[in-house]
Amino acid sequence: MQRKIAIVGYAQTHHEADPPNTREGMVFEAAKGALDNAGITREAIDTFINVSSDYQDGRTISNLFLVMAEGAYLKDESKVEMDGAFGVLYAMMRILSGTHDTAMVVGVTQGSIFSPHQISFYTLDPTFDRQIRLLNDVAAAAIQARMYKNKYDVSDEQIAMVSVKNLMNAASNPYAHRRIPDLTVKKVLNSKLYYDPIRELNISPISDGACALVLASEEKAKEITDAPVWIKGVGSCQDSYLRDRNLLKLESLETAAKKAYKMAGLKDPSTELDVAEVTERFSHEELMIYEALGFCKEGKGKTLIETGVTKRKGQTPVNPSGGALGADPILATGLVRIVEAAKQIRGEAGKYQIQGVRQALAHGQTGLCAQSNIVFILGGEG
Amino acid sequence: MEEKQIKYKTEETITTEGEWPVGDYKYKAWKHHEEFKEGLKEKKIVGSICSGCGRVYVPPTYICGRCFRWMEERTVVSDRGIITSFVLSNPMRKGMKILGMDPVDMGIVADGEVLIPCMVKFDGSDSFVQTILLNVDPKDAKVGMRVQVVWAKEPKGQLSDIEGVEPTE
Amino acid sequence: MMRRNVAIIGCGQTKHGRLRNVNTSEMITEAAWKAMEDAKVTPDEVDAIVVGNMQGFGGIYDTELWAGESFGAPKPFLRITTGGTTGGSVAHGGYYSVASGLYDVVLAIAWEKHSDSKERGATTGLAHVAMANMFHDLQQGASLKWLVSLVTGAAIGVSAFQASCYMYRSGCKVEHLDMVAAKDRRNAAKNEYAHLRWPNCTPEDIAKTEWVSYPLRFGHVCPASDGASAVVYAEEKIAKKKAERPAWIKSVAAYADEPNWLGENSQGTAITDLSEQLQCVISAKEAYRRAGIKDPRKEIDMAEIYQPFPHQELMFSERLDLFDEGKAWIALEEGQTEIDGSMPLDPSGGVISTNAIGSSAMQRVLECALQIMGKAGKHQVPKDVKNAVAHGWGGSVNFTTVAVLGDSPRR
Repeated sequence: MQRKIAIVGYAQTHHEADPPNTREGMVFEAAKGALDNAGITREAIDTFINVSSDYQDGRTISNLFLVMAEGAYLKDESKVEMDGAFGVLYAMMRILSGTHDTAMVVGVTQGSIFSPHQISFYTLDPTFDRQIRLLNDVAAAAIQARMYKNKYDVSDEQIAMVSVKNLMNAASNPYAHRRIPDLTVKKVLNSKLYYDPIRELNISPISDGACALVLASEEKAKEITDAPVWIKGVGSCQDSYLRDRNLLKLESLETAAKKAYKMAGLKDPSTELDVAEVTERFSHEELMIYEALGFCKEGKGKTLIETGVTKRKGQTPVNPSGGALGADPILATGLVRIVEAAKQIRGEAGKYQIQGVRQALAHGQTGLCAQSNIVFILGGEG
Repeated sequence: MEEKQIKYKTEETITTEGEWPVGDYKYKAWKHHEEFKEGLKEKKIVGSICSGCGRVYVPPTYICGRCFRWMEERTVVSDRGIITSFVLSNPMRKGMKILGMDPVDMGIVADGEVLIPCMVKFDGSDSFVQTILLNVDPKDAKVGMRVQVVWAKEPKGQLSDIEGVEPTE
Repeated sequence: MMRRNVAIIGCGQTKHGRLRNVNTSEMITEAAWKAMEDAKVTPDEVDAIVVGNMQGFGGIYDTELWAGESFGAPKPFLRITTGGTTGGSVAHGGYYSVASGLYDVVLAIAWEKHSDSKERGATTGLAHVAMANMFHDLQQGASLKWLVSLVTGAAIGVSAFQASCYMYRSGCKVEHLDMVAAKDRRNAAKNEYAHLRWPNCTPEDIAKTEWVSYPLRFGHVCPASDGASAVVYAEEKIAKKKAERPAWIKSVAAYADEPNWLGENSQGTAITDLSEQLQCVISAKEAYRRAGIKDPRKEIDMAEIYQPFPHQELMFSERLDLFDEGKAWIALEEGQTEIDGSMPLDPSGGVISTNAIGSSAMQRVLECALQIMGKAGKHQVPKDVKNAVAHGWGGSVNFTTVAVLGDSPRR
């Protein structure tokens, strides 16, 4: 990369179902929090990227009224309407170009305003799939889950283990929405059925939340903090449409991960990465994510979860914060993953801190069945 | 380089009729209008004032984006001010449908009435309120005109307590 | 650090108008392919794609998830949507993507398909932006008369109030708005891709049209168009290989102001003169500084200004420092802003002639590129175009995108 870039500050709101707060209030809280965390004022930020969705917020130009709350008054700013991690990519590109030295990315979605599952319906092909009215994101994920289960002989119990791991992890995370310290596979399998085999505890909750982080070029980062979290690599890719792609594999995630690994110089990710924060909107998705990230061979995700490799005490902890199953403020979720990965590197993850984290992976996604994916590799000093 | 034509298989498409009833949205708002409405009941215009820059926002808001701080303090501004902008509607006629209503028929406006939505900056405020300019010939409406609030006879603590503004000295 | 130079090497757009013979996917694909062919690149040579449109109008959320394969997926995609400035923001996003060094060739495409929507006229209105405000105010006991006045008088939205402010501030008259509209409709007649094309249109023709709400007439108002426009960016080495006369991006800047209307849920905002446009003044200053332009009046040869309403052409030409405050209407009277004038504004006809919202601000960048490349056909300005400025506004006229393009890379 032309310049080294680091995360120098971050903050998130407590993600909840329908808290008495507006989008503006959450954005202000996250933005101020991130500036305070970095120890700087908004004057020190050169450019702002807002991440929010018109459809989710019920307002066209969803960032129009958020300018002041973000701190972007009379600042060079723009918006990304995809998962928040893509907003970080855009902010990075602005700094890499040399035009700016510091950036703040703020993402917000209040799922309580309008159901994200209903919104997913509007991403369907309007000429055919939408007319038939059978699909939405959960139904599509259920089709994928069934294909995956049949092909690789994966059981509902194995998929439920992902829910158990993440929701119990979330119990140690004060910012998470759904925290269940005593969850069992049985409880997951008894939860309400949506589209077979997907049940309530296999789906991420609908959260209201905001998240913000501050990026800085190398020179500025060293001025701002003693604990910069360097962005070592990034890669993204969007797959073809739902009916035209291979649903058995998260191919675009594999492409994105390979690019990120190459940029970061990683040859054996599962050993070289100390922790991974991924966006798993459905439990089975996490197993497919293991495979796409190269942590195991195709179809072997079930082995990783069964043998505890991805548990907090395992060799490659995945989602110690609880992941998306723990809290899913939709467009802010990928940002939260990056922040959680950065926290691990800085040693600020409290009760769910993994020991000795030097390199971490963060992943965000957008679109039905994780159609568009982005992977960040983060590293600490040295 | 030779011109490549994009060929379509057909020259026409069919239209598929569809409704997109997006559904009910549940917007969330602060209670910033509560104090404003309480003030209106007493014919007072309430705004928030920033302890950093001293700017007064009417109706009240919580975030001063310039200072990037939360505004706790409230203040009262005058109910007189100036017109900073206005537009003229076409004359209202019976039979004109607005949002499914016939305003002349319903008695909301008079036949032939020209409505004058305007922006008003009250003395002491740094922002504007959006309301209607009343009791003036549309030809005479001017930016910079001094106006005074036309209060409802019995203010109830709601936005329509300000019926509009009218010219004053 | 050494900054990467980026140029536009190809442009493509569909005809803009009421396009009922294609669906959104086909419309986007047409523009994308035209741009790639003009740039002499195949889809494989494109490293990433930046897209944008205002999703609420066409009823499809994240269109590129469905349509992406027709013009490049699987590939890295980035979606940017900022209201009226969408096209400009997408254009900037494409520039930053290459300038960052992460990609070498990037396709940027923006579009809108208004005719798919029941409310075709929704482009210009406050309606979508302030709808939630209206619901909120009605809940707080606002009167029906107020609602009716807003819907009839301010159907055009914040721009109508802004026209009122600008006329007071600058001294320009409605007759000047007629002149701008007529000039742009004449220019559009020379542009085969424009929507409303009226050769020989005169200010008198415009003055004959009815008032929408004073001070704006029907003749002043932009249409609601369908259309897509795309550009291909490349880094310096590739640009020099692929294009005879690449259009170099010298700088971009996009500053935002407090909402020029009320805040979310009708909160106060401390802006009382909608024509002040501080964020445009700052965007222009920054863009010129980053581009190394010291005297825009001498160095900028033409501008494509985002003007769905005629007063905005005058107002923004002043805020972009092409004319003194309050003097743009004098330049107009003197013919300086005509297509063959000393400071041609909107030789393409501008947004007042063609408004597919997502695409419109991208078209401003695209049109400047065409002028520099000498590919603007019948609406090519007769003078040598060394530097051009492309402008966009969005939101409640509180967003601005400015790009400075030139015939040589910034050094």
